[in-house]
Amino acid sequence: MSKKTWFAGMTSLVIASGVLTGCSGNGNAVNTGAEASPSASAPITSGETVKLKMWGGVPPESGPQAVVDAWNKENPNIQVEYVRYVNDDEGNLKLDTAMMTGQDVDLFVNYTLSHTNKRIDSGFALDLSGFTDYNIEEKMGSDSENWKINGKFYGVPTTKSSYFVALNKDALDAAGLEVPKEWTWNELREYAVKLKTGDGYGFLQHIEPYADPLDSVLSQEGYTKADGTSKLDQPLVKSWLETLNGMMATDKSTPPLGEQLTSKMPVEQEFLSGNVPMLNIGAWLLRSSNNFTDFPRDFKIAFAPVPRLTEAASDYVTRGGLGDYISINAKSKKQAAAWEFLKWYADGGMAPMASGGRVPASKDADQATALDNLLGDKADTYDLDSLKYVMFENETPTYVRSLPQEVIDMRTQEYENYFLGTQSLDETIAKMVSRHNEFLKLNK
Amino acid sequence: MTNNWMKRQRLLGYIFIGPSMLGVLLFFLIPAAYSFGLMFTNYKFMNPNVDFVGFANIARLVKDPMFYKSLKNTVIFLAAVPVSIGIGFIVAVVLNQKIYLKKLLRGIYFMPYITSGVAVAFVWMLLFHPKQGPINGLLRSIGIDNPPGWLSTTTSSMFAIDIIWIWFMLGYNMIIYLAALQEVSPELLEAAKIDGAKPGQILRKIIWPLVSPTTFLLLITGLIMTIKTFGIIQAITQGGPGSSTTILSLYVYQNAFRYYDMGYASTLSWALFVVILLITLVQWIGQKRWVHY
Amino acid sequence: MAKSKNVVTASTAKQGGITLIMLFFAVIMIVPFVWMISTSLKTPIQVFEYPIKWIPSNPTWEHHVKVWTGAKSFGTYYVNSLKISIIATVGATFLSAFAAYGFARIHFKGREALFMVYLSMMMIPPQVLFVPKFIMFEWAGIYNTHLALILPGLFTIFGVFMLRQFFLSIPNEITESAFIDGAGHFRIFFKLVLPLAKPALATLAIIDFSWHWNDYENALVFLIDEGLYTVPLGLQNFILENTVDYNGMMAAASAGILPMIAVFIIGQRYIIQGLTNSAVKG
Repeated sequence: MSKKTWFAGMTSLVIASGVLTGCSGNGNAVNTGAEASPSASAPITSGETVKLKMWGGVPPESGPQAVVDAWNKENPNIQVEYVRYVNDDEGNLKLDTAMMTGQDVDLFVNYTLSHTNKRIDSGFALDLSGFTDYNIEEKMGSDSENWKINGKFYGVPTTKSSYFVALNKDALDAAGLEVPKEWTWNELREYAVKLKTGDGYGFLQHIEPYADPLDSVLSQEGYTKADGTSKLDQPLVKSWLETLNGMMATDKSTPPLGEQLTSKMPVEQEFLSGNVPMLNIGAWLLRSSNNFTDFPRDFKIAFAPVPRLTEAASDYVTRGGLGDYISINAKSKKQAAAWEFLKWYADGGMAPMASGGRVPASKDADQATALDNLLGDKADTYDLDSLKYVMFENETPTYVRSLPQEVIDMRTQEYENYFLGTQSLDETIAKMVSRHNEFLKLNK
Repeated sequence: MTNNWMKRQRLLGYIFIGPSMLGVLLFFLIPAAYSFGLMFTNYKFMNPNVDFVGFANIARLVKDPMFYKSLKNTVIFLAAVPVSIGIGFIVAVVLNQKIYLKKLLRGIYFMPYITSGVAVAFVWMLLFHPKQGPINGLLRSIGIDNPPGWLSTTTSSMFAIDIIWIWFMLGYNMIIYLAALQEVSPELLEAAKIDGAKPGQILRKIIWPLVSPTTFLLLITGLIMTIKTFGIIQAITQGGPGSSTTILSLYVYQNAFRYYDMGYASTLSWALFVVILLITLVQWIGQKRWVHY
Repeated sequence: MAKSKNVVTASTAKQGGITLIMLFFAVIMIVPFVWMISTSLKTPIQVFEYPIKWIPSNPTWEHHVKVWTGAKSFGTYYVNSLKISIIATVGATFLSAFAAYGFARIHFKGREALFMVYLSMMMIPPQVLFVPKFIMFEWAGIYNTHLALILPGLFTIFGVFMLRQFFLSIPNEITESAFIDGAGHFRIFFKLVLPLAKPALATLAIIDFSWHWNDYENALVFLIDEGLYTVPLGLQNFILENTVDYNGMMAAASAGILPMIAVFIIGQRYIIQGLTNSAVKG
């Protein structure tokens, strides 16, 4: 066999198997119309029980089970089973493998645009424009724009996701500091120095939103320049690196990143036990902060928006907006039923999820109930004004992280090297840029 | 006659190795051939659109600084293997003697190998904590003012991982050596003792050569397993800080399971394969000089 | 008389001394295990306490109770793991011995080359093999069944290599005399070699069992139904969003380690002086 035919044979084998595994997900756009037509919703009224499986990353006891139980009680015809996957690399791989092999996955929750895009490209997320009885944009507001992919919705963004700096109100009061409604990183840095006591730290960050300030700037300006090369050398990237490094090395008001990473520092616990007065985190903090059994606490928590790098507040966008993007599997044969459930879920069925920090995004959902669920009987341990401000009233435009995972990872590696003192500031920027450029070239 | 005998031997040989060969064919060789083919495609996991890209992945690998970085980390990681085998041998010899609590001690030295990876990762992080960890506490108390940052700095993290790996593989090496030591005849050792050989001599001149097939086994399989492993690093550092503990197999894992870039992950895998194969071949050829069956 | 008594005490002291030294180092080996147990008895806030408290002040059993009685009891996972690990370990040990005998004691052409190919298959990172594997499993209808773990688990290249090394060191005299008595390879394998290799077989079984018992990646990708889950998959239930329930996870993990300890104790009974040498002499 000549070399050429051998290669050809190999390739066709590969492609064949690729098609084999992905085939049933192919051409979803084509069958969307058919599936979504009124006739497809027939099973709901026919009295036959439809069984749906919904895959999500939230542990069932943190809300999903209660949601599903409530639905199942009301709707004997459509019974939903919640399957939990761990929202990490392997858990997502499991979900994707399950879909590829045609297992029962009718609905699934996406947590990042990166994952969503992969599922759309592979034909697993149903284009929802076939369903005309629910206007996602109208229900969820203008923030839903971030979840439109090529002008279409391949899922419903169901939650308001908030990121904020949680503050120990008592410590702030003692130091005579205000709860800010908008602030810069330099202002936060001053707060951290003032609030720091002895060897302790003044400010902590959860690793998940760590690099958000960078995305806040670049998601607005674009990650690439006009000529298609990387924009990671934007001056504000540099000033973020310098500010944080100053806080670690000079002020010693925030832990060195190396120490934080390799001790798996429990930032929520450090904050809730009163050791550190400020914490950059997201709404999931509420689950721990409501749990007085495991995390007893004797101070009030106030909330501030995440500080900005830009000078002018008007230039600022903050991470957040909407999240929990729920898609219907394009391969599912029960799409109409799945759609019924999804609408109900988004319009308030998801209320029990609030106990884990997930507030419904739909304008038709009852925000007061959600807030009750969110705070439980612990409402008086929070500064409610600032909470409502960061969660509902803050008008700052939002973005959803859209950077591919590869770039996030390489960026992280380089700034870790910088914060650890392994490479200089200029070297760090140069490496970020050159690695990003290399990535851009490969993925043109 | 001889011809017939040889044919018979050959047939018998195939009968004995046949079932295993079939399994290897099904579960290793065919999937391996498939992944070899993927090397020339841009296959993204679960994406049905696959293109033939020729040698693009290989060209990318040659220019990829992360590939070289992870290769270098892999080499540092491999240094743990002979050390762990050496210590494992000594522990096995000691625990094969008449001492108290022998069975309990054997069990304890095997414990790391079966303890939950999460616990292992967590405890070593606590032990290695640069400020509050007991290891640096000890170092400070004996007058070392600037103890290493262990897992928390890019320069020391790979060596900290080496220490953990030596510790982890110790029980595995020990238990296989223990099995080998059961084949060493006590009469032989007794005779050597009567001839006036010192314990050190017996160890070097008699026991060590006798267990050399096992040492060879541990060396080859240890190198292969170490090169292929990534779970423990994933649990402890996820390849960081920076990329200081990203070994090649972890880089393969990230490309395959995190970025879904199966084409490139396959290319990296085959590069890894070539590295292991070369190391193994050198060992295989070199074994005649020191392995005695 | 007095002299021999001295010898006895001297060797007792020496034995005691060595035991003490080994016990000292044993502490380092057992630390994570101790941490596991102690964490399973702590409250969340105690997990990260410095200095590390090895014995929790107010031990609580609630995490252990939760593991077995919660909404998702570990019982099913346990049974599944036991089933898979036992079948795969027994099968793999036997099949390895069979193949190892072929590679070590039967002379045929191309044996060495074949073995190198065989061994080289151990060198491919498993991460890239899983896609073709699940295509294959799906085609064969064993995806999302325990067979997807058991069937590949029956084959261990490491096991064949390990036993080959052991079989190679069995003196030729033993088998030759059996040949002269007219025994064939099968008889020699079952009646002579297998009994002689008991320590090696037991060792392989211990190691192989621990691999199957702890196998996470394969179980993750090939099992979908929760009813089929194994213990390592069950441990994932303790990973919450952005946090980990270390107490619950360690409670489950410390129960999960028991079967491996049991296998080790049983296996160790066979790691005793083999009969090889006396057989040569006899």
